[in-house]
Amino acid sequence: MPELPDWVEPVARYMLDVGLRNTLRTAAISVVLATGIGVVLGTLITIRFRLSRALIRGYIEIWRGLPIIVTLFIVHFGLPALSPRLEFDVFTSGIITLTLWGSAQIAEATRGAVQSIPREQHEASSALGFGWVGRHRYIIFPQALRRLIPPLVGLIVGIILNTTLIQVIGGSELLETAEQSIERLGSPPPVGLLDPHAFEILGAVAVVFFVICFPLTRLAAYLEKRLVA
Amino acid sequence: MLAVTYDLGAYLSEHWEFLLRGFARTIYVSAIAIAGSFVIGLLLGAARAHRIPVLSQLAAVYVEVIRNTPILVQIFFLYFALPEWPGIRLDVFTVAWLSVTLWGGAFNTENFRAGFEAVPQRLREGALALGFSRVATFFNVTLPIGGRIALPSSINTYIAVVKNTALLYVIAYEEFYTSAYQVNALELATWETITVLGVVYLTLVWSLSALIRFAEGRLALPEAF
Repeated sequence: MPELPDWVEPVARYMLDVGLRNTLRTAAISVVLATGIGVVLGTLITIRFRLSRALIRGYIEIWRGLPIIVTLFIVHFGLPALSPRLEFDVFTSGIITLTLWGSAQIAEATRGAVQSIPREQHEASSALGFGWVGRHRYIIFPQALRRLIPPLVGLIVGIILNTTLIQVIGGSELLETAEQSIERLGSPPPVGLLDPHAFEILGAVAVVFFVICFPLTRLAAYLEKRLVA
Repeated sequence: MLAVTYDLGAYLSEHWEFLLRGFARTIYVSAIAIAGSFVIGLLLGAARAHRIPVLSQLAAVYVEVIRNTPILVQIFFLYFALPEWPGIRLDVFTVAWLSVTLWGGAFNTENFRAGFEAVPQRLREGALALGFSRVATFFNVTLPIGGRIALPSSINTYIAVVKNTALLYVIAYEEFYTSAYQVNALELATWETITVLGVVYLTLVWSLSALIRFAEGRLALPEAF
């Protein structure tokens, strides 16, 4: 086994202990919030009530339509300009941004899944005495879930990949810790080595994301075959 | 207190030229990337669907790597990592169009593969039975039908490509988002900037989405399929 160069260990430790940890934490919180909000909005939009429909449609089209970096700009720079109480730290801004984007995407996927359930299912459950909530909770949503899960897994991958946007506002997620390491190694001694090793470090970042996301994309494709067809 | 007044008129009359130049770059890079990802998607999608040895496997690796790594990492990789190899030096503009093209090409490969594979086998057999060569079968049967099936999802990819050009901010390529960001850094007119960003990007994205619905209506395959 050839010995690894001296710079590798501290850089890897920093990127994994600080960067990857922040990436995973941000992704996990955003995924939970986006799924919760998205599923509720996507179900509510199927109710034939014009005002709520228009509001949810607007929410979906705006947060799906804007480039995520623009949403991040609105959350991180726009909100504090309205009120100092709306000033958030970089990770909170990132989580809000990813939740807006993710929930809009998931709401649209949920709408499609819920509306794919035939009307007879609604009528039959109403005939059995279920109210709107019970009907959706026990009859419609469990069936819609089969259609929802494959795109949902794909969107979760999207949220994980997009956590790197937090790098843009300086949050120490995986990509930012990589950039910091590259900058440090590229500076002259005693701080750095005058060699940034960007190839190895950015390659490692790509590998880490690939290892997390590739199994999930395969899973989504497998579930698509199993659950939908 | 930073921004007490909201004056979109003054903001636009002061900065419209600068913003317009940024917008032009967004359109320019998007156009290159859309054309490039169309060509990549068509070629590699056909290679995947027809299981052309070696090329098909290489295309699969390319698609999975791009789809499962963040585009920001891809941009940084082209910009910071590739120049560590002797003889490779990419300027900002090259990284700008290349990164969004490679990304769009990977997603489009999947779109076209799915489209081509959705063409019923019996249609291709019919063409071969009529004496069409395999290449002629592709151009006369698989491409026109599969291309139509792939069209809505490929337009979706082009929309994503346009949105991704905003990420070129990280390499300071002065497209529209970067221009607006710079104006804001100078003026601290945050909500004027947000208004301009929102109106421009949503108009772009929503028009392209409307194009999908139009294409779906006009180019839908007859029921007989």
